Amino acid sequence: MDNSLDNSLPTEFDVIVIGTGLPESILAAACSRSGQRVLHLDSRSYYGGNWASFSFSGLLSWLKEYQQNSDIGEESTAAWQDMIHETEEGITLCKKDETIQHTEVFCYASQDMEDNIEETDDLQKNPSCVASSTLIKPLDSACLSEEMHSLYVSSYEVPAKGTPENNGEVTDIAEILVKEEYCGYKTYKHRVSDGAKDEIKPILEDNSDPPKRNRITYSQIVEEGRRFNIDLVSKLLYSQGLLIDLLIKSNVSRYAEFKNVTRILAFREGKVEQVPCSRADIFNSKELTMVEKRMLMKFLTFCLDYEQHPDEYQAFTQCSFSEYLKTKKLTPSLQHFVLHSIAMMSESSCTTIEGLKATKNFLQCLGRFGNTPFLFPLYGQGEIPQCFCRMCAVFGGIYCLRHKVQCLVVDKESGRCKAIIDHLGQRINAKYFIVEDSYLSEETCSNVQYKQISRAVLITDQSILKTDSDQQISILIVPPVEPGACAVRVTELCSSTMTCMKDTCLVHLTCSSSKTAREDLESVVKKLFTPYAETEIDKEELAKPRLLWALYFNMRDSSGVSRSSYNGLPSNVYVCTGPDCGLGNEHAVKQAETLFNEIFPSEEFCPPPPNPEDVFFDGDDKQPEPLGANTIIIAQPESSEGSKNLESSEKHLQN
Amino acid sequence: MQFSSSARAAEENFDYLFKIILIGDSNVGKTCVVRHFTSGVYAETQQNTIGVDFTVRALEINGKKVKMQVWDTAGQERFRTITQSYYRSAHAAIIAYDLTRRSTFESVPHWIHEIEKYGAANLVIMLIGNKCDMWEKRHVLFEDACTLAEKYGLLAVLETSAKESKNIDEVFVLMARELMARHSLPLYGEGPLGSLPLDSSPVLTAPGPREKSQCTC
Repeated sequence: MDNSLDNSLPTEFDVIVIGTGLPESILAAACSRSGQRVLHLDSRSYYGGNWASFSFSGLLSWLKEYQQNSDIGEESTAAWQDMIHETEEGITLCKKDETIQHTEVFCYASQDMEDNIEETDDLQKNPSCVASSTLIKPLDSACLSEEMHSLYVSSYEVPAKGTPENNGEVTDIAEILVKEEYCGYKTYKHRVSDGAKDEIKPILEDNSDPPKRNRITYSQIVEEGRRFNIDLVSKLLYSQGLLIDLLIKSNVSRYAEFKNVTRILAFREGKVEQVPCSRADIFNSKELTMVEKRMLMKFLTFCLDYEQHPDEYQAFTQCSFSEYLKTKKLTPSLQHFVLHSIAMMSESSCTTIEGLKATKNFLQCLGRFGNTPFLFPLYGQGEIPQCFCRMCAVFGGIYCLRHKVQCLVVDKESGRCKAIIDHLGQRINAKYFIVEDSYLSEETCSNVQYKQISRAVLITDQSILKTDSDQQISILIVPPVEPGACAVRVTELCSSTMTCMKDTCLVHLTCSSSKTAREDLESVVKKLFTPYAETEIDKEELAKPRLLWALYFNMRDSSGVSRSSYNGLPSNVYVCTGPDCGLGNEHAVKQAETLFNEIFPSEEFCPPPPNPEDVFFDGDDKQPEPLGANTIIIAQPESSEGSKNLESSEKHLQN
Repeated sequence: MQFSSSARAAEENFDYLFKIILIGDSNVGKTCVVRHFTSGVYAETQQNTIGVDFTVRALEINGKKVKMQVWDTAGQERFRTITQSYYRSAHAAIIAYDLTRRSTFESVPHWIHEIEKYGAANLVIMLIGNKCDMWEKRHVLFEDACTLAEKYGLLAVLETSAKESKNIDEVFVLMARELMARHSLPLYGEGPLGSLPLDSSPVLTAPGPREKSQCTC
């Protein structure tokens, strides 16, 4: 089975890209597309770096890797010094990823079911992973980490009681059976709303009181772990944003599918409510009075072309946006909606102009693909970098994961980087080097100041705002309680986004850190959710969704670091940053495009590729088939998974 | 939703469009098989296909127009770095091995596992043993392939030769028929468990020196 791994790597490239996060992947695709020979490496066993998404077991493995937090790989670095010549010097790369800190896991779901559920360990039990570690000499760091890791698996006690055996052979039938059982627990009525064709739900009699909620146990989460695609960074795509434009222009969009965010929510006076933002929403809103509807329409219409009416805001350019809103004849609830949910500018430092600009941007994104300005990629954010990697590979880029780089080789005379030396001691030459900043050593980064992002990932048993359809994708901004603190962005995903199992919601919380993630976010979690408990709880608490599982962690935010703060990097080494804290992906796209233009000023950035259906091979005597590539047409909806295609083609037609 | 710019798609009337992914180890002849299927051409030395995501061929089966979109790995199988999105929206997968190289056959369970992990639950899988024109160098018995197919509940095993045009069209026609059958079942997924068409009987076909078509496991 390792036949394919015998293939040795070519040693001459134009561009070597280290790290498979979003900016690096876009750059790799762009370089490959413009005819460069690209080698794209990642030291991890998965794509995406801190942009990755994981199954539940994959996430647990990822956590263990950071929790063990040991100095692996300090040995066996002797090799590279012998590989370089007298006229060269080496810049060592980082051996340990330090971008994740303060991980804390809490399990609230009942763990009392039979503990015979086997846990699939995606990251570690992947056969190819094992294969790669056996290839390396026993002393090698990768191999050591592999061993330590499996040791850790068995002693990791938080929730995992099952044996870490590979159960990759679970049949479909078994999964369906299990699902059917879950449905049996439900005693409340499911109503399938107009648009929700995602899943056909059994309708059961609602004859028991008090209403019992479906019970998801920890073993069920583990068993259905494959259904989860848990993002490390929580982002959305602005429907008029740079990433959407790039995806469409480069045709990378054909590798992914998206769903519209269905609701914008607000949190005010302890309650979650839906924010009407489109014309139709405002018109149909039952919460707003007629007067409020008129006020809001008038204000939003003004925002769409605020530049044309300077007299409306000129006097307030020195004020904060929230002060300005108070002067605009808006009720307090409307001010709240505009400030926190539409402009998403909760910070008191936000000026009138910034607020108007953000409001305009929001409004312009409305209606391109649906009723809200945002899209979410099916199977999670982690798909997006991979889609660009696929594009790179289609144009000849070569991919290696689990491939460490020991050092960059610099020519002393010219000061330029010539090659890398990988973990196998192989020297690979290239002209340009693109490196994600977590690969840079402490020495290179000694002058760099980082910010941090606080993240929480929650698995809950129902939506924070229940409606007829349980298939909602929502975004909520919770304003800071005290001035100066940061607002918390909450994204709630349903199972039809293919990121969580049926009858659960996956909730992401994000803010820029002032303390550890738990200290920053726990108060918001407590406001919105209640921990799962077997015992009876009072009515008010019952209304809240219950927490089944929670994870907190801090991620390094290097988005603000300037290239000049790194020590001694040659000019042909380009640095990509990790994810930023923002909602959109604009930072990553801008960075990739800027770097590409720096490296290849005369090349076009990600032009559309030829349509595969227009490509002919010699001797092809068939007529071209003029049909677009992307719309999947299915005669009948097949199952819950297949129906998304049908739905998507319908949506497509609507647009 | 997808951002297809396919105004063209609406113009043409296809009854079915299926996305089929091709996987298997390097150099088992995957690209030759697709190339042969979509253009009827065999090239002895295969260059890596640059810039081609997938190839397309239309078939007419039972009076229905079926469009087969066959996706290639873009070389990412070489170091086992196929992206998950490659598997996501596929209706079917064809796993290819080289019957003159045992190791490529031994990788088949790995590829099946990947499909189970990232593909749709009801994805149809077919196994093909390529290079059956080189039967004298055979290292994988057809019986072994049948046993494996049965063990994993694959749709069928066929031995093919892109060089001698053996069984190539058969692979795709068989696949198209199965997909049509599955996708035109009324109320699929709604009925009781027993009615799920997960148990379609495998058809195992081998061509070549030993006549072994229609071996039913």
